[in-house]
Amino acid sequence: MNPKKLGLATALAITVSTTTFAEEPVVNFYNWSDYISPEVLENFTKETGIKVNYDVYDSNESLEAKLMSGGAGYDVVVPTGSFLERQVQAGIYAEIDHTKLTNYGNLDTVMLEKIARHDPDNKHNVPYAWGTIGLGYNVDMIKARLGDMPVDSLDLIFKPELAAKLQDCGITVLDSPAEVVSIALNYLGLDPNSESKADLAKAKTLLSSVRESYRKFSSSSYISDLANGDACIALGYNGDILQAQGRADEAGQGIKIDYAIPKEGTVVWFDLLAIPADAPHKEAAYQLVDYILRGENAAAISNYAYYAVANNAATPMLLDEVVNNPGIYPSDEVKANLFTQNAHAAKFDRLLTRAWTGIKTGR
Amino acid sequence: MIETAGDAGLIASPDITELPLWKQEGATPFLRIENITKKFGDFTAVDNISLDIYKNELFCLLGGSGSGKSTLLRMLAGFESPTSGRIIIDGVDMSGVQPWKRPVNMMFQSYALFPHLSVEDNVGFGLKREGLGRAEVKQRVAEMLDMVQLGHLGKRKPSQLSGGQRQRVALARSLVKRPKLLLLDEPLGALDKKLREETQFELINIQEELGVTFVVVTHDQEEAMTLATRIGVMNNGIIVQTAEPHDVYEYPNSRFVAEFVGSVNLFEGRIIEDQPDSVRINSQEAGAVLYVSHGISCAPNQKVHVAVRPEKMRISREQPDQQENCVCGVVEEYAYMGGLTVYRVRLASGKEVRVTQPNTSREASERLTWKEQVYLYWDLDSSVVLTA
Amino acid sequence: MSIQTGSAWVDGSGSRLAKYNFFKRINWGRASVFSVPTLWLAIFFFIPFLVVFKISLSESAIAVPPYTALLDWNAEDAYINLKLNLGNYLFLFEDSFYIDAYLSSIKIAAVSTFFTLLIAFPIAYLMARSKPSMRALLLALVILPFWTSFLLRVYAWMGFLKKNGLVNEFLMGTGIIDQPLIMLQTDFAVYIGIVYTYLPFMVLPLYSALEKMDMTLLEAAEDLGARPTTSFFLITVPLAVPGIIAGCVLVFIPAVGEFVIPSLLGGSDTLMIGRVLWDEFFLNRDWPMASAVAIVMLIVLVLPIMLIRNSQGKEETA
Repeated sequence: MNPKKLGLATALAITVSTTTFAEEPVVNFYNWSDYISPEVLENFTKETGIKVNYDVYDSNESLEAKLMSGGAGYDVVVPTGSFLERQVQAGIYAEIDHTKLTNYGNLDTVMLEKIARHDPDNKHNVPYAWGTIGLGYNVDMIKARLGDMPVDSLDLIFKPELAAKLQDCGITVLDSPAEVVSIALNYLGLDPNSESKADLAKAKTLLSSVRESYRKFSSSSYISDLANGDACIALGYNGDILQAQGRADEAGQGIKIDYAIPKEGTVVWFDLLAIPADAPHKEAAYQLVDYILRGENAAAISNYAYYAVANNAATPMLLDEVVNNPGIYPSDEVKANLFTQNAHAAKFDRLLTRAWTGIKTGR
Repeated sequence: MIETAGDAGLIASPDITELPLWKQEGATPFLRIENITKKFGDFTAVDNISLDIYKNELFCLLGGSGSGKSTLLRMLAGFESPTSGRIIIDGVDMSGVQPWKRPVNMMFQSYALFPHLSVEDNVGFGLKREGLGRAEVKQRVAEMLDMVQLGHLGKRKPSQLSGGQRQRVALARSLVKRPKLLLLDEPLGALDKKLREETQFELINIQEELGVTFVVVTHDQEEAMTLATRIGVMNNGIIVQTAEPHDVYEYPNSRFVAEFVGSVNLFEGRIIEDQPDSVRINSQEAGAVLYVSHGISCAPNQKVHVAVRPEKMRISREQPDQQENCVCGVVEEYAYMGGLTVYRVRLASGKEVRVTQPNTSREASERLTWKEQVYLYWDLDSSVVLTA
Repeated sequence: MSIQTGSAWVDGSGSRLAKYNFFKRINWGRASVFSVPTLWLAIFFFIPFLVVFKISLSESAIAVPPYTALLDWNAEDAYINLKLNLGNYLFLFEDSFYIDAYLSSIKIAAVSTFFTLLIAFPIAYLMARSKPSMRALLLALVILPFWTSFLLRVYAWMGFLKKNGLVNEFLMGTGIIDQPLIMLQTDFAVYIGIVYTYLPFMVLPLYSALEKMDMTLLEAAEDLGARPTTSFFLITVPLAVPGIIAGCVLVFIPAVGEFVIPSLLGGSDTLMIGRVLWDEFFLNRDWPMASAVAIVMLIVLVLPIMLIRNSQGKEETA
């Protein structure tokens, strides 16, 4: 249960051994840090005799850099939807033969449809977990500043007068331009996946107007900041915020963290299992993916990582605290407001990054 | 008495009729060193030295390495503070006076020229610290460089100068502030022999011209002889003898001084006859009775040494007329050195004696050669008895 | 002489001399000594540089690798198509963004280098003046931080500087301040991080310059009437200049391109070229643009240093 994006620099240090002994079957699994229950992997090896070379990364960017350079030697990787979308265009992934996956039927068809927006017919992916981006907050600190105002609105961080009230206790926002701009566009009533310059400029104006009140843009440190009371509200991934909640409870300092999905609607993201086209052990990769799709294993992952899985067979085996947590498994009503953030054209990415740096550095 | 010019002290000014200051009763010393001791941990580098040095003197501290001479010099400059005792320069007690406030300048053995500054800036460094104006500094630097004949090299860096030129820059730099007292640490040590001889006289001329009191530290007895008005011979942290060069050479007060300054033949013996103005000594080593024409104060039958300089001895195949101060031996070895010849003669006792003789004749046939039986003899007043 | 290795031996002593000179001119021992660093530079600097330069002239593409090839081989018509894209370089100057990033990096690096020098000088001075037995210990202490991971040490600074970190707790505990100071995520923290991390790179060259210095020079200065402070600025500092230059170069260059320290300690508004490079590479996936940024950074850094080196060389030979 460590921060998903612990430090950018550690990404540079991650390598994986691709040398294998001829006799020993192996599978090279490259996943987010702390994203799978260790027992699942152990049991897989016990059952199939396939050794799992498990390696972790902490950002889509570092995964992509490895895959794009070619010859990384991974068999199974877990990119997020919008990244997979682009990577499929680059021809990185092998098509998935769904007939080889006996447990594919366990998957939630509603979710599969949403995911298909990233990858038509889900030809290159198998859903792993999904989640939302929303507001993690310190219950007492917010109450002290805003009274009984409901916290399930992006107004708190997007309305300058409200954000200013929270400035002293600390606002942090994900350092993820595509996702945050998407949420801002949606908040403004615009198409969250718009690639228009004018729309981008509007989003920039909105974010710049509240920039002064933000303490920082960060994709990882808000977990400890929330847990330690160094931040009172964070726009972040639901799993991370639930981790912060767990840590704050463990510390017993009386800090109470909660998570809210904004009523204006927010990004739903999917982390997807995919098999690189140059995977050296494709058969083993299929066995691993199929194993993960089993109800009990999917449930173990959800129970461990506090992220939702789109697996019907898993539902009965989920812990109460997980399945009944609206932060992990939101109601259908809330789900209706969720949207995917799709991949952008390279030209727009450049504009987006530029606008983002402009927002962050106040220029 | 002076037989070879090189061995004699060069008297500062031959036409001076009055006595030098250090011989005048009640003269005020310019530099007074009072019971100075310097200890480094357990080691005593300078041991209770007292010394008076007078105005316009060129005083040489002569000693081997570790004799304490450099430590004494550094205490005068203020780089070391004495463990006990006082230094008084021109009537001012120097205790607690920092080096940069003393009316003293030093010329370092290594010259210590600032490598990043030009010759001019090196020489002008001290003047600028005094806060003198640009024009005055420039003028005085130019004068000083002219004096040491380096006027044309002012823009160079020290690394672009020869050893002799650096030495002059160092000298100019230490003199430009017109110090009352100039300390020189082995000033000629880094120069080759020929340059050293030239520079010695130059140094004396400058000293006389400027009227600065010099204290020179050196391990080179020839240098001390040439330069000094007086020499203080140091050993193990004390001054063994303070005297004019001539006296140090001709009348050493101890075996140490006799051996350190010039070469000497020492004969061990016992006093057999003690007169007020002469003594007789029976020396087994010499194999003869030796006569010395000055009285000494000592116990009867005391063990003493008779010192005879090699050039004071004469050497001959025939037995001389004189009975006393005559020994015989065999030529072991000789070295023809142009102006003189050096002989090593072994006496019957096994003692080896060194004799130098001027080559007055050009004929090689007259010269003594190996294995010849010879007589060595010297005048009655040519030797010194040493009790210490 | 019995072995005839070539025509040079045949005709008389003149040629023999020529042959001798030829070997002298080559001086194989010298050449082999020089070949090692040359080879090193070629393999680990020059070739990668060319690769990056090549990428900077290509166009970004959704492919593996994510950029277009410079050379197209058209088999049918048998011609080679060379396509050089200068757009990336032009884009750098299209607005002030990249220029601001370069300038801001240079400013941060320069300020940090200055403070590194300020702190390193007394340390190096103390080391050079201490007893030889003590020096080895002090030297070891200076190098000691390298034994732990650089990342860990930067993380440790986060612990010191954060709102409820050691520094704030100390200051508040002693009553010097009532409100915690915001130090983390500021340029101040970046300066601290860079100064701390690069201190040894400044101390070591300074130490070696100061250690070589002849102590009698200081005595000579004092003897000529300079107080210790005066002789420090007039003698010690000028003589340490080679060490100061070496140390500043060693600190300044990596500081300009520093990425980890501003990411971890700096605020979101700390604009440094290392972060821009990261964004180009990972956020925009624009390898050609990232390469162009890197090439320009190299030019911005290397040119002034070559100039410094040149002027130094001239001074030495003058």
